[in-house]
This record gives sequence, C-alpha cells and structure tokens, in this order.
Amino acid sequence: MTRIIEVPASFDDRSFDQFAGCFGAWPPEERLLFDARGAQWASPYGLITMLTAAQALAEARREKPLFAVPQSDEVRRYWARTGFFRHAESLFEIHGRVPKASAGPSDALLDVTPIQAMEDVHDVVGRIAEPAARILNEQLGIGVNETMRFSMALSEACQNIVEHSGTGGWVAVQAYNWRRRLGRRVVVIAVSDAGIGFRPSLEPSHAKRYGDRWDDGAALEAALIQNVSRFRDPGRGQGIASIKRSVNHWDGKISIRSGTARLSIVPGWDDDAPLAERLPFFPGAQVQITIPAREPATE
Amino acid sequence: MIETFRLHQLLRETVQSPYRCLVTRPTGAAIRNRIEQSLETSGCVTALLDFAEVEMLDFSCADEVVAKLLLARGPGERPYFVLSGLHDGQREAVEHVLRHRQLAVAALRDAERAPAVLGCADEDARLAFESVCSDGPADDRALGARLGWAPERAARAIEDLAWLRLAQVSDGTLRPVPLP
Repeated sequence: MTRIIEVPASFDDRSFDQFAGCFGAWPPEERLLFDARGAQWASPYGLITMLTAAQALAEARREKPLFAVPQSDEVRRYWARTGFFRHAESLFEIHGRVPKASAGPSDALLDVTPIQAMEDVHDVVGRIAEPAARILNEQLGIGVNETMRFSMALSEACQNIVEHSGTGGWVAVQAYNWRRRLGRRVVVIAVSDAGIGFRPSLEPSHAKRYGDRWDDGAALEAALIQNVSRFRDPGRGQGIASIKRSVNHWDGKISIRSGTARLSIVPGWDDDAPLAERLPFFPGAQVQITIPAREPATE
Repeated sequence: MIETFRLHQLLRETVQSPYRCLVTRPTGAAIRNRIEQSLETSGCVTALLDFAEVEMLDFSCADEVVAKLLLARGPGERPYFVLSGLHDGQREAVEHVLRHRQLAVAALRDAERAPAVLGCADEDARLAFESVCSDGPADDRALGARLGWAPERAARAIEDLAWLRLAQVSDGTLRPVPLP
C-alpha cells in the first residue's frame, strides 16, 4: 500500500502544515509517494523540507519514497537549477523526466545544499558572503556594513544542525518578490534538519523547570525567547539570540518549527500567529528567516 | 614581550577552506588551542590577536576564541590580550560575547593609536583605561587628579581594570599593557 503525500501547488512555510499532515503517524509504515505533479512553485523552505522528509524516512529505515515530478516544464527546470533533483535522486525513486541541472542559473543565492559537518558551514558562509552582500545592498537597501549580520545569521543557523540535530540537514537561500504577502522583495534563508528536534534536545536540561507545560511549544519558547541551550556553558544559546537581534534589526521574521509546534517572531507586516501548536508532527527542526527590502523593490 | 597571532593564518592552518571566515565553535576551539599551545612557551606580556584579513567572524567563533581565552585567566595573569584589525561586523560579535560573559578586552583600531575597550567595562573603567594609555602609569591619587575624581573612585576604577585584565597593576599603580 502506498500513501500519497500531496505536494502543495504553492509550497512554502504557509502550506507546509498541509504537506506535514499527509504523513500520519511518524514514521509512516506504508511506502510514500510524493506527488508534485501539480506543483507550480516552491520556496526554499518547500524544497528542503521535501528532502528532509525523505532523509528522515531513510534514517528510519523505511522504503525509499517515490517522487512524481512536476508536470510543468518550467517548474521542473527551476527545481533542477536550484539543485533539488541532484539531491532528491539519492533519496527518492524519481518518476518523470528530470532536466539536467545545468539548464541555466537559478535566482537562488544559495542552491539547495546539504549541511552535514562544520566544513559545510564554512563552505556555505564563504560562498554566499559576497553575492549576499551585493543582493542585500542592491535589492533590499540594507547597508553594506550590515550585510555581515546576514552571513553571521546563516552561519549560526547552519551550525545548529551540526551541533544539535544529531544528523544532517539542508539549507537554501533565495531572493524573490513577495508580491501578495508583502509587496516587497525579500531574501529568505531556509534551514531544515531531520534530527531529534528542539524538545528532545533540551529535555534533559530544561524540562523539569516547565513541569506539565513541557512540550514542543515550550521547548521552542525556551530556545527562541529565553536563549537557552542544552549545554551548561553560559556562552551557549547566543547563536539564536544573535539571529533574533539581526532579524529585529531588519524588521524581518524568524519562524522555527519543531515537532508539533511553530514559534515565530512576527513583524508588523505579517499576520502569522506567534505560536502555533498541535500541528501535524514533522521530524527535526525547520527554520525560516525572512528579510524584507527596506523600501519598495526597484525591479 | 608582544606575541602576535594572525587569525587569518591560524584559520588557514586549521581549516581546509579557501574562504577567510572565522565561523563555527569547533573552528574557534581549534584556533584557541593553537594559541594556548604557543602561549605555554611564549612568556609574552601581550598577546595580540590580529583579525586583519579575516572577512567574517560569527558569534560562536568569537566566543570560542576571544571569550574563552580571557575566561581561562584570572586577574593579573599573563598574557594580556589585545585585539587588532577588527572591522565593524567583527567588533559587534566580539562586543556581544564579551558583554554576555561580563568580560572586556582592549582593541586597537587601525586609524587610532590608542586602544579602545570592548565588552562590559563601566564608564569609569573606560576613562581610567584611556588615561593610562594616553598619559602613562598612575596610582589612585595621580589618576584621580587627572580625571578630577576622589582617590577612592580612582582606586575602584583601577581595581576594575585589574579584574578585567585591561591593564597591569603593581604596587597600586596602573600601567598600560605593552602595545605595538
């Protein structure tokens, strides 16, 4: 028997819960078919969470899932250019024609990239520093001196995968127009891992303090609002704190989903709920950082 | 008397990467260990951590390199650490981790001869630090006279600078650490 995992036509952080709800109890017993035939668009978050799901299935020793590629040539080509299919080929049994990845440059600042070791963090941060500084400055109106914060935020977000997840993960960064949601250009950093998630990571050191209130939402609150870490070293927990400070500075948004909860620091331009609980379970942790243009985009 | 550690060079020797980004805790810890190894046989009074040619420094690495080198030593214990070549983004990272851990360090700006204090030193400690760097050693009376303070206030500032290891204190006299 095969369970169908419907890939939303427009797949981003908002439609993610619809995607996560398709899996049922985790890990699913049946073989899965990721049906992306109707996909019209996917954000970096959408692309890397599909890979995360497949990675988590592999780590749970489940049968390799099937993947039905988008019917749209344009969508297929775009996903290929972002590097999605290059990584998907080892995690899925792919059904449908996949274009070669060299069909042209994507507008991704950072293609879909695996993060498995600290060397990967060095590579990602080093590769992206210069183009990110240029795009943040030219397209988002963020001062050249401030663009360093972007690389720092990316570095800390990726390090969390290696340090806390217990497995590998994925990162992608893209600049695009948010016409409907914001009417401005944004840069989005998406980071996702298939690891243990925030609650199990923090449980040994922090659960007692919360008593009955301890759950996925409380764990996210401890990490994002109170800057706690599973390490006793008081210098720890500053990575997320530094990301949060930069996000506030940019009037941006950070959203972290882990297990069955999602906690966001929501700027005035967004109508998301700060805390969403009792969501469909999804393995690991997913982070999205959204940095909006300071003024209407010129493009 | 002064030993210079070029962070860019140490990074190249530690990580196989073409980039000049000081990022991640393990990288910071590896670089700190190399510095500590050199210091075991160095006998220097000032250890100058030169960040020139480092493009980026994240908070985790700043904590592992700068904060933990400072934390490993008590008041009066040598060497005294001084930073140089920091640009604004790196300065922000260092400032943040030092304040978080209630530490401070002297930093040389390229365009200025006198060092500045990064971290959690209060205003009096900063003024006392600037005074000994620009006008030379002073005890509590001399420092008080320079800054228009009572000797007790100057003595407290001297004590704070000694505690933070921003300057040398011997026989009640505050002295700047050797600088290049």
